[in-house]
Amino acid sequence: MNWKKFFFAFIAAFIFLFVFGFLWYATLMHDAHREVATLLRPEADLKSYFGWLALGQFVMAFFFTLLCARYVPGGRAGAGAMLGILVGLVYAGPHLISFAVQPLTFKILCGWVAGAVIQFAIAGAIVGAIYKPATGHIMYVKERSR
Amino acid sequence: MKRFILAFIPAFIFIFLWGWFYNGVLLKDVFAEAQSLFRPREEMMGLFHWIIIGQAGLTLSFVMIYASGFAGGGIAAGVRLGIMLEILAISARCAIYATQPFSAKLLVLVSIGGFIEMIVTGVIVGAIYKPAPARSSSP
Repeated sequence: MNWKKFFFAFIAAFIFLFVFGFLWYATLMHDAHREVATLLRPEADLKSYFGWLALGQFVMAFFFTLLCARYVPGGRAGAGAMLGILVGLVYAGPHLISFAVQPLTFKILCGWVAGAVIQFAIAGAIVGAIYKPATGHIMYVKERSR
Repeated sequence: MKRFILAFIPAFIFIFLWGWFYNGVLLKDVFAEAQSLFRPREEMMGLFHWIIIGQAGLTLSFVMIYASGFAGGGIAAGVRLGIMLEILAISARCAIYATQPFSAKLLVLVSIGGFIEMIVTGVIVGAIYKPAPARSSSP
């Protein structure tokens, strides 16, 4: 594991997840979320729970970067994005289940599913582009003369 | 493809049965404490197909990630993948806890069930799915 590159990839993923989460879920979907206000904490309470939100995204960024480093050990934005799409689809499953059991609107369901896939696809591309294995771990095989 | 389907079907059956047993039977009373955050039972039954689609999608994505990046590692790789995906799910539950008035007890219990679910799914997929053997070009 190239820990230096891992660290930079993790920080970049964390910043992206945080900013995307704010723009997508808190800004773009704000009105949609207000349609089910009884399912949400009052806006005044949200500040006191902000630490949980930040902690969740910190842990998410760390383990997503770890998953990318193991899944795409050679790096590459495209392969990272592909993994991100699959992880986003893993998240989409519980969102569909939440829709079945909680009185969420179909608009919220679509927003959450699209948000998860886009968020992880871009985060995967960022991690894939930044993370590279340590050069000492790359083996070069000399071609045998014929 | 055959191995993929053979791994997908038992993993999906397990996730379906575990979801019903753990969330629907064992945690029934804990969920009842937060009844105001859920649909009435009859309404849930009318949307039951979304649960099936969600569980099938989750299983499909799990097997696809395993098949394309972890295959060959066997049960240990399946368990590792399951643990990593569940930690990602728990981090998402932190965001749910921050924004929805669920009790911490409910989310902790759901996360424990999620760990068991994803570890067993990893065992099933890791035990069944094997990568196709490399084709030899020599005669």
